Formats: sequence, structure tokens, C-alpha cells
Amino acid sequence: MATKFNLNRPAVPDEEINSHKDFGELVNKFKAESIQKARSDVSFLKSKKATYTAIITGVTVICTVTYFAVFKKNPPKQTANDTIITSQKNISNTPKIKPNKAFIAPPISKLNVPYTSYKVKAEQGAKIEHKQSKIYIPKNAFVNKQGQDIIGDVDIQYREFHDQVDIIASGIPMAYDSAGIKSTLESAGMFDIKGFQNGEQVYVNPKKVLTVELASNNITDKFNQYVLDTVAENWVYMKHDVLGTKGIEKTKETKETNFKTQQLQKQLDDIPPKIEAEKVVYTKKVNLLPKTVQPTKPIKSTEGRPQFELDVNYKEFPELEAFKNAVFEVGSENKNYNAKLSDITWSSAEISEGPQKGKNYLVTLRLRERVEKLIVYPALTGANYDKAIATYEKKFGEYKNLVTNREADEKKLKEEFEAKQQVYLAEQKKLNEELVRERIKIRQEQDKQFAEQFSTMGNQQCIMRTFQVSNFGIYNSDCPNSMPKGASINPIYVINNGTNSITPTTTYLVCHTKNIVYNLISGAPLSYNPEDTYSLCVIANGKLYTCSKEIFSTLAKENRNKFPLLEFSIAINDVNDLKKALGI
Amino acid sequence: MEFSPRYHHTSEMLLNEQQIIEAAKQNPENFGPLYDKYYKQIFGYVYQRMDCKDTAFDLTSQVFLKALTNIEKYEYKGVPFASWLYRIAHSEVMQLFRTKKNLRTVNADIGDLKNICEEVEEEYLEQYQKILMTVIKDLPEDDLQLIELRFFEKRAFKEIAEILNITETNAKVKLYRILDRVKKTLTKKQNYGN
Repeated sequence: MATKFNLNRPAVPDEEINSHKDFGELVNKFKAESIQKARSDVSFLKSKKATYTAIITGVTVICTVTYFAVFKKNPPKQTANDTIITSQKNISNTPKIKPNKAFIAPPISKLNVPYTSYKVKAEQGAKIEHKQSKIYIPKNAFVNKQGQDIIGDVDIQYREFHDQVDIIASGIPMAYDSAGIKSTLESAGMFDIKGFQNGEQVYVNPKKVLTVELASNNITDKFNQYVLDTVAENWVYMKHDVLGTKGIEKTKETKETNFKTQQLQKQLDDIPPKIEAEKVVYTKKVNLLPKTVQPTKPIKSTEGRPQFELDVNYKEFPELEAFKNAVFEVGSENKNYNAKLSDITWSSAEISEGPQKGKNYLVTLRLRERVEKLIVYPALTGANYDKAIATYEKKFGEYKNLVTNREADEKKLKEEFEAKQQVYLAEQKKLNEELVRERIKIRQEQDKQFAEQFSTMGNQQCIMRTFQVSNFGIYNSDCPNSMPKGASINPIYVINNGTNSITPTTTYLVCHTKNIVYNLISGAPLSYNPEDTYSLCVIANGKLYTCSKEIFSTLAKENRNKFPLLEFSIAINDVNDLKKALGI
Repeated sequence: MEFSPRYHHTSEMLLNEQQIIEAAKQNPENFGPLYDKYYKQIFGYVYQRMDCKDTAFDLTSQVFLKALTNIEKYEYKGVPFASWLYRIAHSEVMQLFRTKKNLRTVNADIGDLKNICEEVEEEYLEQYQKILMTVIKDLPEDDLQLIELRFFEKRAFKEIAEILNITETNAKVKLYRILDRVKKTLTKKQNYGN
């Protein structure tokens, strides 16, 4: 069969390609294959003991795989500790010993960042505006645990985390393990999204994708997108985060400047037609100048050459006026001429311009069917010639004057036109320069405004970070950071004016220079970068304590390791109180 | 003719990739970033050579499964992991065509054909389009592979060499010999009409 050749076949859209991506399925297949391979490994099954071991292991693993296969088809209900499963559980030969503590554990329940609830008609889709962020939900974006399309109201619960206190309050771990390299994520914004119908969790339709435009107040382009895998207890890299600017309001100045550039552009556009109009005027004026026709110099007849007379219409041939009473000499180029032609009485004779304009003429003689054409030269004889030459000289003088005048007038008109053209071209150049300057100015103003808006942004976020959400869960725009370096102390945490020391269950080192919260290992030295600003947030005996950045800074400078903590739990109402306490 | 920069990796990127590969060797769940990164590229490679999208998707999955199964055998040799994946894809595609020859398809754009004409110093005329298409699709499979990689997928010689497991010089020499033959066949067909 001949190979088929497709020309210009349309490309497969990315959406279609992505819809076929299923890493979970790949891992399942891999595991199934591994089991199959293990079962068929004859050498392994040589001993009876090994056979039993293999069967037991196989059954165990099959059960585990079956469980997870079911698990995938029937997504889990939301757990009490607020975890959301985003991927398959890792099957390992050495089972992971999980700590009793929930993976996402808000340290103080009333501190937790609350969800905002949005009602969405599943079959219609929706665009949700959450503060400055936007969530785009396509039609039929949800399915139930059986994979059937959801119809009716869906309760979308959504919350965002933007600063260090949000991170602490939510209890979302920011530790990141990338191929064994441990780091802490610096966040440029994080969100948690989930959906319910009548209290039952719903799932994102595998054929659909929600789009979340997360408003972020961090403008740097160093972040990646991650999704939290609460089973593997790690963040999963999705892609590099591409920045999108949210429409920055143009200031009055910019609008005015834009108006100015539009005006300038309009003036510039008007110039070429003006030059063209001037050119038309110039051409018209030149055409109106008196026409000059050079008079023909009379020719004296040559003796012995054949001649004849014609009745000439001098109005039709004004240049022949000088040849009134002229005779026409037959040119030597007329090979057809013979003297007998003069004996014929021709029924008609026509004269037209000859091959040499103004010098010779073509005479067409007709008699019935016979036609003779002769090139003739007008010539004068005797007194007629003298009179004609006098007339010619007079007319030639007038002609010369006329030509001189016309040339002068033409020159003048041309100079006038060129002067006007130069004015327009100079104006065009000036306008062009002005336009370039204005455009540079606009660009500079925009850059300045952009910079100003970012510098004064505060809680007003201007950068949109777009996430494609194919599963509910926690998504983050992050950049991995290693533990701070530069200085290290063995901290002792004291309360009640230093009278009692406490042993924290959790210690958060809050970096104020970057949006990072380091979760310190209990009992380990506290390392920090002396060039950065830090505060501490400590959990001990179910209570929350803080050490302000000012105190931290003072102690760090003096290389003291006793950190006086202030109990915060008593006065706490919400995350804003903690933000105030930590100076965020 | 511009060539795709997709193959370019900085040493830092290669190192990061190597870390992910090592982690994937320990635990298949860590293979995710590589799957995400290369899925589209491998699908593109497979689908370039066939007409059936579903088969291409199936084969792409097969390529990644093979990669995951054999990742322990993968050794870092200073080139992107992609080249290893392409070799698996190449092998899988050829295996498929051995059993189902009718699935083989050549896919190109008019611009690609023009580039070939430019390379063989022939003027691209529309009436010769069909002749050129016939000349290309009648090429032996190995030759067609090189033409596809270079002109239809716009890959650099370095990348072609990695995929076909030959040296860069060898890839160049082979391709120019093929182009010579294409030029001769093309001229012959233009002159004699078939």
C-alpha cells in the first residue's frame, strides 16, 4: 500500500493533547506491569517459600492496586482535617509511617483562613470574581463520584493565601521535596478551591478545565505553579508561572498624552495629501502658461528639383503660413516619383505631417484607385523667400522671448511649489520627532505608573497568575528556597518575662523580606540570614506565641539566643490580629 | 529555514532534569514532571508519522510506559532526557509500522516542501508539488526519517543525531546524500513527466 502524504494537516490543539495526559493511569499501568513481571519471574519462584511470599505479596499489592483503582474512580470524601486528594497514593515496599498529625493542620482553628462560598449553576458555568481574582467555570464542569455530569447548583468554596500569616493560619505545609532536595516555598499567591452539591463533594469533569486568575502582589517572574498532593504530602510541579498583567488604569496624563499622539499622527497623515494638492496646483499653473510653437524656418527652393504647388489650409497647418506662396519640392527619398506624376490631374491631395516633423510633409495624391504618397519639402522662391524669412525672423524673436518668459515663469512656479513642499516636509519632520518624543514619554510614563502602582500596591494586586485547574485542591505560585544561611543560634523560647521556658511543638520563622515561612525542626539550631528581617511564631501547648521582628532583630544583632515570646492566643480574633502582631 | 529551539537545555536545566530522573528511579510517582514536560513533544513526534490520532495517543502512552519501566537503565550522558524518549518513540513507531505498514503517513506543509526545493537548488513550482511529494514518500524509511526530522520537524542536526543514535556529521552526510538523490529523481521526473 502506498504511503499517504498529507499536506498542511491541521495541528492538534494543546487542549486535546493535554486531555489525553493521564499520569495516574501511566503509574497504574507501570505498577500492574511490575506485578506481572514479578509473577512471571521464574527464578524468583524457584523455592516454595518464595512462591508463597510472591503470592502473598502479589495478593497484597493487587489488593492495594485494586483499592487505589477504585479510589481513583470513587474520589474520596473530604476528610475532617480538610485534606483533598490530588493524586494516587504511592505504593512502596516500605510503608511510609505517617505522623498522627494531619498533613494540613491549622495551628489555631479560629485563625484559619475562611472559605468564601459561591453558588454556580453547573450546566451554565460561571465567572466568579473573588476580590481581584477571577474563576472561570465552563458549562458542565463538574461530575459526581460516579463520573456523571452534575446538574443544578454547585457550591464552590474558595479561599486565597497571600502572606506569611495566611500560610501559618491555614496550616498548609510549604516544605517542598524535589527529587530529594528539600526546600521551602516562597509564595506569590496560593488558593484552595473545592466544590460541593448538597454536602457531597463534586469533582472537575475530566473533559473540562477551570481557569483561575489569581491576583498576586508579587510581580517577579521566578515562580512556578504547583499543586498540593495531600497523599504524597508534597507539592507537585505543574509549569513555570507566566505573568499576566491585569489592566492597569491609565492615568489622566497618559490619556492626554495619547490624545496628543493621536493629534500628531493626524497632522502627520494630513501632510502628504497637502503636498499632493500643491503639486496639482503647480501642474495646473504650468499648463496655463502660454504655449510656445517654434516657427519653421523657410527653405529656399533648390533649382532643378521637381516642385508642385498645393492649396494649403493654413489654419490646419499654422506653421506653413510662412510658406504662403510656397512650392513643395519632392524629396529625393521618394523612389516612386517620376516626372509623369506632374502630368496627372489628381482627384484629391491630402497633406499630413512627414517623417521629420516641421521639416517635411506627406502628400497623398488620389485618382480613382491610384494612390501615390510623396514626401515633400516646402520651399520659397525669390521675393517670397525674402519676405518669408523676414516674417520668420520676427516670429522667431517673439518665440524666443516667449520661451524665455515661460521658462522664467515655470522656474518661479517650481520654486514656489518646492518652497511649499519644503515647508510641509519640515513640518512633517518636526511632527515625526515630536511624535517619537511623545511615544517615548508615554512609555516612560507608563513604566513609571507601572512601577508606582506596584510599589504602592499593598493589598491591591495587579499581576494575574493563571492556573488551569483540572482537579479541586490547593494551588500555589511558588519558588523553592533553601533554609536561610549566614548566622545560626540555638534558641531558647521563654515566656512570662523570661521566667519560664517552653518547648514549641511548631516554630515558624517568618521571613519579612520574602513571602516565606520556614517551619523549623524542633530542637534544631535556628539559622537565618542577617540581611533579612524575621519574626517568630511559636506553637506550644496549643497556644500561639509571637516574637516581633523588632525583638528578633535586636536579639540577632546581639547574638542572644533567649527569645521572649508573647502569648497571642488570648487576644486573637482572626488572621488580621496576627498580621498586626507580626507587622505584616 | 528556522529550526525549533525546543531541544536547547542549559546545564542547569539538564542538572535539574537529572535530579528528577534519579528521583523517578527511586519512585515512579516522581516521573510526573518528565511526563508533563515531554508528553506533547513525544505525541508530536509519533503523530507526525501517522494519520490516526488515537493510535498516536496510545503509542505515546506506550512510549512513556516503556520509559518508566526502563528508567533504571537510563544513564545520563549530558544530553536531554528527551533524546532517550525519542529513541524509544522511534523504536515503538518502527515496530508498529513493521506490522501495520499502512499506518505510515508523511505529513508536511507547503513551506517544508519549499525548503527542500531551496536546499536542492530547485525552483518550487506548484506543478512540481505532486512530483516532490511522490519522490519523498517513495524514499526508503531511513531516508524519509532524516527528511522528516530535518525539514518537517525542523530539528537541529545535533538533535537528529541523538534521536537516530548516529553522529552529527553522519546525520549531515546522510541527509545531503539523500537530498542529492532527491534532486536527481526530481529532475528526472520533471523532464520525463513521471
